[in-house]
Amino acid sequence: MNRGFAIAAHGVGKQYLRRSDPARTWRELLTGRGLRGTSEQFWALRDVTFVVEPGSMLGVVGANGAGKSTLLRLLAGIGRPDEGRLEISDRVNGLFELGGAFLGDLTGRENALLAAVVAGFTRAEARAQMDPIVDFAELAHVIDAPLRTYSTGMMMRLAFSVAVHTEPSVLLVDEFLSVGDLAFQSKCLAKIRTLKDGGTAVVLVSHGMDQVRLLCDRALWLRDGRVVALEAAEVVAGAYEAEMLAETVRRTPDRPPVDLGAGRELRINENRFGSQDVEIERVELVSGSRLASGGALDIAIHWRAETAVPAPIFSVTIRREDGVICVDTNTRVSLVEVPDLAGQGSVRVRIERLDLGAGQYFVDVGVFEQHWRHAYDYHWHVYPLVVEGRTALKGVLVPASRWTIG
Amino acid sequence: MKTPAEAAARWRRWRHGWDVVVILVDRDLKALYKRSILGIGWAVAAPLLQLLVFSLVFHRVLAVQVDNYTSFAFCGLLVWSWFQSALSQSTGLITSSQALVRQPGFPLALLPFVTVGVRFIHYAIALPILFVFMAVQGIRPGIAWLALPVVAAVQFVLTTGLAYPLAALNVRLRDTQHVVFVVLQLLMFLTPIFYSVESVPAKYRPWFDLNPMTVLLDAWRGVLLHNHWPAAGPLTLLGLIAVLLVWVGERLFVSQSYRFVDEL
Repeated sequence: MNRGFAIAAHGVGKQYLRRSDPARTWRELLTGRGLRGTSEQFWALRDVTFVVEPGSMLGVVGANGAGKSTLLRLLAGIGRPDEGRLEISDRVNGLFELGGAFLGDLTGRENALLAAVVAGFTRAEARAQMDPIVDFAELAHVIDAPLRTYSTGMMMRLAFSVAVHTEPSVLLVDEFLSVGDLAFQSKCLAKIRTLKDGGTAVVLVSHGMDQVRLLCDRALWLRDGRVVALEAAEVVAGAYEAEMLAETVRRTPDRPPVDLGAGRELRINENRFGSQDVEIERVELVSGSRLASGGALDIAIHWRAETAVPAPIFSVTIRREDGVICVDTNTRVSLVEVPDLAGQGSVRVRIERLDLGAGQYFVDVGVFEQHWRHAYDYHWHVYPLVVEGRTALKGVLVPASRWTIG
Repeated sequence: MKTPAEAAARWRRWRHGWDVVVILVDRDLKALYKRSILGIGWAVAAPLLQLLVFSLVFHRVLAVQVDNYTSFAFCGLLVWSWFQSALSQSTGLITSSQALVRQPGFPLALLPFVTVGVRFIHYAIALPILFVFMAVQGIRPGIAWLALPVVAAVQFVLTTGLAYPLAALNVRLRDTQHVVFVVLQLLMFLTPIFYSVESVPAKYRPWFDLNPMTVLLDAWRGVLLHNHWPAAGPLTLLGLIAVLLVWVGERLFVSQSYRFVDEL
């Protein structure tokens, strides 16, 4: 690839027919509904222009229905754009529909071979790659057992391993593989980085702005099929989050203030935001609201959900009095799987060493929609935390340190 | 002028296409029989059971008179089963192969070859049984058997050529599958499988000759049972129609496949 790009899109547009009710059966056809139904054209994607260089990663962000999947599909060569031009280097592979051609009755090895051939290898090439594929998936001990005896995680590992070993020059990643254990996920990320460093262009569709910031060079923000922004990943992620905040405010219902005791109150749209589909009822600083610098911080978040909410994200942010964010973590970056929530329960997080300088802090806690689209409940500047011990002077941290003069 | 690199890329594409067909045929065969007791033996058992019932009805009850009836009927039954099962299965190909349709760069147009190939293997596995019947009835192989690959090739391409448009149609109209199933059931009795086309009254005969399977069965039986070379004219015409069907159908098939995933 010496054309200087792996993917080049020039004003790409894709039009779909939104049919209200096309004839699905011959009876409907014969009774005159026709093959078209009543239809209207709409642009699922319009005027999309971007370039992805070999060895770089483009993040694609946007709400559901913004055109992300359509874009990915066009890049995968499934269908053609109705407008504009799309130039893509030859070997495209995707990390979506993983293991779609898998068959439970075949062994892991037979399935891996099958998937590699389906992805573009000849049988000889696939056989030559079989050992690295099996090793990477960490399945050597069960590779000759039928696939139906595998867990979902094992299957995903095998499928992922095949996909990254087929030497793609363009790799399309839809969402992130939330399956598999932590160690394997970081291994996957490392592998994607290696491919990228080796010149593979990567397109990553993601709802996680942290992931976009961490992995991508640039990001493309789509809304209703059009490009809202195409900038450095950091910039787009920030703008996208700002919009999420506006969406949260819009969704926050009117509720009477909640008295927390000790002169503190939760007031909607002042220090409490979110649609309240999941409510944070109580936040407990288990280790106390005064903490020695370097000590462990334990937080328990007690939640309640009247109706079931799919796999939300819990977040904890520690902010200094002046607003500087010192710690920011959530269940998504920590790769913790949160199940669908209903009823009530609690979530705990332990921060092993909080090496913050002495001072006043706030622990902000939140629970968010699974795609970060808006907050369910977010408590801001409500729970004070006093850290005692040495001062950090102009810094934030006071990690254990030793001077040696010599 | 083709550069060596282009030639190599082309060779690789063909090689890959072949490997895709081989590995998917292998997958389908394993999927069909991996957990059954009789396994691939069903390829033999199923037509034998059919033969038993149908020859009882047609030969004993309806007293159809044909020389070497067992070989005659079994030959017809095997050839027809290949055609029928391949066609009814491939009608649902696009709708049942979502994962492959979504695989970037996957050569979709090969899918009907896989299905027709799988059913051909079933046919080939059952053939030795036919040879046993023939041996018992005193039929010996002859020089005309050299024409067998040609007859098989014409049927292969014709079935594939019919499979393309039917699978494409089934994307928009799911009833196609059921219609094809019923039509094939009926067509089975309108095809001279258990009776000879000679016994068809003259005024209906032209209609029977329009059935491509009549032409093919005639060719198969002529070669296998009577050591006759097949008539070149009808077979060539059929071959040409088949190639045309594949050529047109393939485009239809691929575009409908994309439409199918678009609609999901």
